[in-house]
Amino acid sequence: MRERRTARDEDRQRGRDGGESSRETRGSLLDEIRGVKWPALRSVAGALPGAHHSRLRGAAPELSEYRVYRQGDDPKRIDWKLLARSDRAYIRLADDRSIVSTMLVVDATASMAFPERSLAKWRVACDIVIGLAAVAHTSRDPVGLVIVGGSGMRQLPPRTRRGIVGEVARALDDIVPGGSRPIAPAMAGMQSRMRIAIVSDFLGDAADLRRRAGEVAAAGGEVHAVHVVAEEELDPPSRSILAVDPEDASLARPFVAESRAVYLERFAAWRDELASSWRAEGLSYTFAPASEPASRVVRRVTGAALGGGRPDTASLRSDPR
Amino acid sequence: MSFVSPVFAWLGGALALAVVALHLLAWRRPPTLPLPTARFAPEAPVRTVSRAVRPTDLALLALRVLLIVLVSAALAGPRFSSRAHATGRVIVVDRSHGPQGWASINRAARAAFRPGDAVVLLDSAAREVRNPTLDSIVTTTTSETGSMSAALVVSIRAGVELRRKRDSVEIVVVSPFESDEMDAASAAIRRVWPGTVRTIRVDAPPNETASARRVSVRSGPGDAIAAALALAGATSVGAVRVIRDAITPADTTWAREGGAIVMWPAAAAPEGWQTRAGADTAFAVTVTSAASASHTARRATVVAPFARRVAPPSGRVVARWADGEPAATETALGAGCIRSVAITVPSTGDLALTPAFRLFAEQLARPCIGGGASMPVSDSVLSAILPVSVVPDSVVAGAGADDTRSPSSIPALMLGAAIAAALAELLVRRGAANATA
Repeated sequence: MRERRTARDEDRQRGRDGGESSRETRGSLLDEIRGVKWPALRSVAGALPGAHHSRLRGAAPELSEYRVYRQGDDPKRIDWKLLARSDRAYIRLADDRSIVSTMLVVDATASMAFPERSLAKWRVACDIVIGLAAVAHTSRDPVGLVIVGGSGMRQLPPRTRRGIVGEVARALDDIVPGGSRPIAPAMAGMQSRMRIAIVSDFLGDAADLRRRAGEVAAAGGEVHAVHVVAEEELDPPSRSILAVDPEDASLARPFVAESRAVYLERFAAWRDELASSWRAEGLSYTFAPASEPASRVVRRVTGAALGGGRPDTASLRSDPR
Repeated sequence: MSFVSPVFAWLGGALALAVVALHLLAWRRPPTLPLPTARFAPEAPVRTVSRAVRPTDLALLALRVLLIVLVSAALAGPRFSSRAHATGRVIVVDRSHGPQGWASINRAARAAFRPGDAVVLLDSAAREVRNPTLDSIVTTTTSETGSMSAALVVSIRAGVELRRKRDSVEIVVVSPFESDEMDAASAAIRRVWPGTVRTIRVDAPPNETASARRVSVRSGPGDAIAAALALAGATSVGAVRVIRDAITPADTTWAREGGAIVMWPAAAAPEGWQTRAGADTAFAVTVTSAASASHTARRATVVAPFARRVAPPSGRVVARWADGEPAATETALGAGCIRSVAITVPSTGDLALTPAFRLFAEQLARPCIGGGASMPVSDSVLSAILPVSVVPDSVVAGAGADDTRSPSSIPALMLGAAIAAALAELLVRRGAANATA
């Protein structure tokens, strides 16, 4: 999938990224997340060696325990030295480590192209995706990308090769967010035991997406929701405006001083309800305001994995609104 | 520039400021801004009151302010600052009355003259003096009667020329204002001049009350004509004697000296009158020109059956029957005249008491048409003919046309421009509404 880019969009993209400065920003992002691990939430069932605990116990060099040989065990795994000393047949058991495929799903609909001038929401989403891709790639996990935009989906299948993070970055740079499209269908063809990170504002098909993510989690997969919110959404302008939903032009609401308090209350309640519903499904939810550095969000997402999917109360508390 | 009614200018300014304020604070559709979380804002009317740092619809605002300013300025009546020589004068010097009153005329004209004024001399003709000085007024006199109308025409022409140099021009007429100088056109010509006309009478005006004499009627008791003239309160500036019986030598002598004898026989036809072949009846009679030049002629008609038995002697016809035959004639006699009236008034009935007949008898009892010396017109007549100022509506269109606009035309031009601005504002507003829709 490749969005059609107009000259104006290219100018905006050029001005937004600033060419070299964008690469420098990405470089500093990767420097800041160096050493960050993203362990799987639970033991994985993969056979290929990797960094995550595997459900399988094999002949890894790191000894875990001995077990009495039973008929059917591989004789090659018998500890012959122990047999010679004790005249008992034991086999060596070790915790296997495996890889987990990581699929990053990013929302590229029109609601992410906000604010119009800076596209801060989309930039932060891209940085978070690149950061997560880099962290996953560090653990030799295959990293894939699905970009859901208004005109379709663009997909990079999970790869382990060296340049996959660059491919992800280039794929994101080629995209100008726009249009409207549900994200849930993008998860239809994914393996159930994948690790999926959804970076979105969840203003589209949030309910369907949560339902699908719950199915993935129930099947042994791992789903992380990264909720990107622009600063202007949290603190809208105080002057009178006619707020129009970029994905639905018919949805226009006057925004005056009297309606500001109601808006803030409703938006905060919706965010709370969204977070609690995702966590109730056993999913990971991370609130990511656009004003927060992407590296910190990446650390929080991966830290949420360490926390075993516990509610990210710290991020909620950090939300001043 | 100043205003006749500055309160309108102040009101207009305040109203213009209010319009600007309304453009800054108005019901308008707020600016559209994309907001992905717009769904969380409560529903409310799309139009709301908002303040704008800079007013929108600048063309509309400019037209509205212009409209208000024009209307208020027109109502305020702008006056522009005057130039150095504010008022010029055209002095009409009447020298057509011989040397008798010339000294006073000369003195009055010299007192009114200022350098730069125009001078028009009136004698048998009217002419403007080129580059007049004070000595231009010292001139000879004539006894030929001039025409005030001609003098007004020349002075208006001179006034138009002078108006190019001065802010305002007035015509000053120095004259005794005798009746023979005035004619019916004088008042109309005066109305052509939009400015002021100041009259300086050099002699005392006639006392109409003192000089008026009651028409004397010689008749028998209960005479209908005497009753009609008495009811009319008939007075005359000249001497008029109405005779209902017969003319005596004394009457003839009196007429030769300038009196007017109205021979209106009550019964038998006097000598010299022709008896009609057959008596008939006329149903109306009209007096046409039985008035002197110094009095305004009024037509008077009486509609009633009159028995015609005699015809007046030949002479100037002053009254005619409905069929055109003469009913009254006038014959000059010395300085006076004898007016013969062949109208038989019935002694019974109230015809003589009707207003129409009273007016009719009053017109017949006027002094002689061609007789009498010229007399100064009264102040009332003079003010009617030559008023100091005229109302703008009575000024003939194009009067005093020159390349400078009269001050009264500026408010009209402003109101016209205001109407144009209002139409333009309507069009712009409709265009803006269509664009918004």
